Amino acid sequence: MDNRDEKHEILERFLGSAELNHPFSRRQFLKISGVSIVGISALSPLFARGATKPLVIMEQAKGIVIADPTRCVACRRCELACTEFNDGKAKPSMARIKVARNMNFGPKGIYGQSGQGNWGNGLITQDLCKQCPHPVPCATACPNDAIVMKGPANARVVDEAKCIGCKMCQKACPWEMLSFDDDKNKATKCFLCDGKPKCVEACPADALAYVAWRDMTDKVPARMVPTAVVSPEKAASCNECHKK
Amino acid sequence: MAKFGGWTGKTLRVNLSTGKIWTEDTIEKYKDYLGGTGLGYKVIWDEMKPETKPFDPESRLIFGIGPMAGTGAPCNGRTAITSLFPTCWPKPLVGTGHMGGQFAAELKYAGYDSIIIEGKADKPVWLSIVDDKVEIKDARKIWGQGIRRATAEITQELGPEACVAAIGQAGENLVPMSVIMNSYSHSAGGNGAVMGSKNLKAIGVRGTGSITIAGDKGEWEKLLKYNLSIMGANNNHAVPSSPQPWAEYFNPGSRWKASKGLRWEAANPPIDTGACDPHDLNRIAYRTNNAVTYLGDIGWSVTVRENVCTGCPIRCHPMIKVPSAKAKYGVPEIGMNTCGGLNFGRSFFKQFPDGPRGLTNVEACMVGMHMADDYGIWCNYSQLQRDFVKLYYEGTIKAKISDKEFKSYSWSKYEKGDPSFLFELLPRIARKEGELATVLGLGTGYLLEKWGLSEAEWKKDKDLVYWKMSHPKHHSNEDCGQCGVILNTQYNRDCQCHSHTNLVRGGLPIQVQKKIAEDLFGTPDAVDAVGAFTPMNTGKAKMTKWSLLRKELHDSLSLCNWMAPYATSPLKERGYKGDDTIEAKLYSMATGGKKNPEELDVVAERIFNLHRALTIRDMGTKEMREKHDTIPDWVYYDPDKKPVYTKGTIHLDKQDMQLAMDMYYEVMGWDKKTGAPTADTYKKVGLARVAEDLGKKNLLP
Repeated sequence: MDNRDEKHEILERFLGSAELNHPFSRRQFLKISGVSIVGISALSPLFARGATKPLVIMEQAKGIVIADPTRCVACRRCELACTEFNDGKAKPSMARIKVARNMNFGPKGIYGQSGQGNWGNGLITQDLCKQCPHPVPCATACPNDAIVMKGPANARVVDEAKCIGCKMCQKACPWEMLSFDDDKNKATKCFLCDGKPKCVEACPADALAYVAWRDMTDKVPARMVPTAVVSPEKAASCNECHKK
Repeated sequence: MAKFGGWTGKTLRVNLSTGKIWTEDTIEKYKDYLGGTGLGYKVIWDEMKPETKPFDPESRLIFGIGPMAGTGAPCNGRTAITSLFPTCWPKPLVGTGHMGGQFAAELKYAGYDSIIIEGKADKPVWLSIVDDKVEIKDARKIWGQGIRRATAEITQELGPEACVAAIGQAGENLVPMSVIMNSYSHSAGGNGAVMGSKNLKAIGVRGTGSITIAGDKGEWEKLLKYNLSIMGANNNHAVPSSPQPWAEYFNPGSRWKASKGLRWEAANPPIDTGACDPHDLNRIAYRTNNAVTYLGDIGWSVTVRENVCTGCPIRCHPMIKVPSAKAKYGVPEIGMNTCGGLNFGRSFFKQFPDGPRGLTNVEACMVGMHMADDYGIWCNYSQLQRDFVKLYYEGTIKAKISDKEFKSYSWSKYEKGDPSFLFELLPRIARKEGELATVLGLGTGYLLEKWGLSEAEWKKDKDLVYWKMSHPKHHSNEDCGQCGVILNTQYNRDCQCHSHTNLVRGGLPIQVQKKIAEDLFGTPDAVDAVGAFTPMNTGKAKMTKWSLLRKELHDSLSLCNWMAPYATSPLKERGYKGDDTIEAKLYSMATGGKKNPEELDVVAERIFNLHRALTIRDMGTKEMREKHDTIPDWVYYDPDKKPVYTKGTIHLDKQDMQLAMDMYYEVMGWDKKTGAPTADTYKKVGLARVAEDLGKKNLLP
């Protein structure tokens, strides 16, 4: 199988996965991809061997943690479970579920006057990784392709061996869901605890659930405008498929 | 020094007179005292002279936090603020204000185990702590403002995750009855004015660092799940308050209020609390509803949700929504607090137009808590309000203040139970305006002294529940007979001990309690059913010692004594036994400094004996039994004149209480005649030098 066929297969497989959220049709995509597929790869076990060009496509995640803000009681046991049970330390600032930042004043902070949180109407928004469909902003922004897909949940995870600690991923995620472990100087993000999320287990108020992946990217408002720059090689790859 | 988990390793020190900021090695200097109250007592013993007064610059104000704070150990949000207590009468002595909220954890994440403040700034300042950047900042802009504005302005500077502990106008104006407050509604009573005397308006903290768990992370996860599995509702109440499909027992007095059909009605949309089977760890937060505990069934209709401290699944701090409070009185329609803080406003009133459990009662709570938590006024476990009611209805207020001042209050509003009366009274307390407000702010003992009233009379009034030295009882004979009474004699403020009441008032039938007591204290006779008390015995003495030591242990580790020690559990398959070795397990695994429960109890004993030594040193007498450990007359009084130890009465026998004190002193290793620890006892718990110092002053028995 030459490189071109392999890439075609990647696309076929990618397009076969559920709940795509794309601005163009499968047929259109196939047409484009059939003409020229340059620089597309994916890191599933099947395709890893031939993947040499910049990563832009990943298979869909299988699961996602979703949250009900009206049930949250602001105990932060999810944040603590995340870092204590995975990393052996209590460090809410690097928790991959983020509650503390919304706890007092809501997602808009004290300047935003959203009237939420402990100082407002009591509503606590739990921020969670969307395990984004293509394009995965953090992965696309990573200059070292360190954000990869990992089974069994197909979560988008940080490969510590590849992470260079540049924090570009933090500038890419509209929901500010990338964390940083400054003890290791590595980025970190929700990896769904390989399909058994500790935060969900730890919630004493039944406010979190681990469910089959669904697209939350168009349902949860962004927290910021991403400012990460995509490398020219990757931009060119994007262009191959997305150009009119 | 070996590397420990749990602690960050650094204790922050600030001298506000010189502006010097430095750190000490927590492990080297304070590990044997854990943190929290232990660290506080140690600093006061080492660094303060007995003649120091609370508002002297040399006076220390210690934000004591322990190794469990900020970890995932359940209920770890406690900060113990130790200083001299300005309300303590006739002489301020060592005491601790306890606050929950997020402060303890945030400080740990910033990299500090505790903060020790000394000196006095020459102008109002606040302390900014952002990880390793600690600065003293100008607070003139927020001086004179309420706690909420001060917190909001500091948060604008430090970011929305920051936690701020601040004083209100009461603390600034050196009103002894004042608090230090963090996280909107979590207050430490009694030392706000000490902070004010240092010109320190607030401490703002933002921490992004970590606390290491020394043990294996998988084992830690198992231990925490085990801990969660044996927890009950608030105060570790082990049975539900109404029949539940899973429950063998129920008890209407329980704080475990959840039930199918009972909803957090002010949640949007409402949430059914459901059956809450104790095996379902994802529903622990729905068990307790303290809005209902304190306000009655109307509590359900106003509950938005439960709130409280870092890492606590219990949620004892209800958030309530009362639109009519906003409409009628202009206070925010949502508020939160618990116990004395929740009851702050309503407790001033004897009656309300719509009865004791109506909406006005709730509105009075809202007005009171919003004002008290902004001005930073302390209730002294509602003694402020009980004193006020008595003074008014007995005509003392009218007799003691000028006619002009008397008429400046709307007493008809007060008598009717109109919450707007609080707008007249509370700001004046915070500002020391007028005679009445000023004396109310002093605390009971100084109030009585100033107005020439008899403390002995106060000690006779059963409804006042006043104990001694300005403070009331806190879970005394009404809960736990002799044990409760002894605990109430031991501190220089209300004793704040819950170890005993968590066991005996958790709703379990007495035969189950007795089995558990037999395991823990060697005899089922250690506990009695309430209203069926029996004479003193050794089991009760052991239980008293256990209750006291565990309280100090929790206050030093930053575990909540309103839950731990987990003597009972809601689990039938365990025979409702809990596990009172959980503190040692948590401590050992988090810190890596392994201690079994007995060894950890010795540390607690060291800590409490140091509190005792401080009290003896600063009172200048070893005659604790006679001059400190006193019991008010109302304990021996029954309004129906029922004989003692008969069914339905909770009063106790004077002679038997003397025997009880004998037996307690004996288990503590203290001299029975004076009630002072012996030199041997000090030595045994690692306080040989303390004994030496006291010996030189002739303060050993």
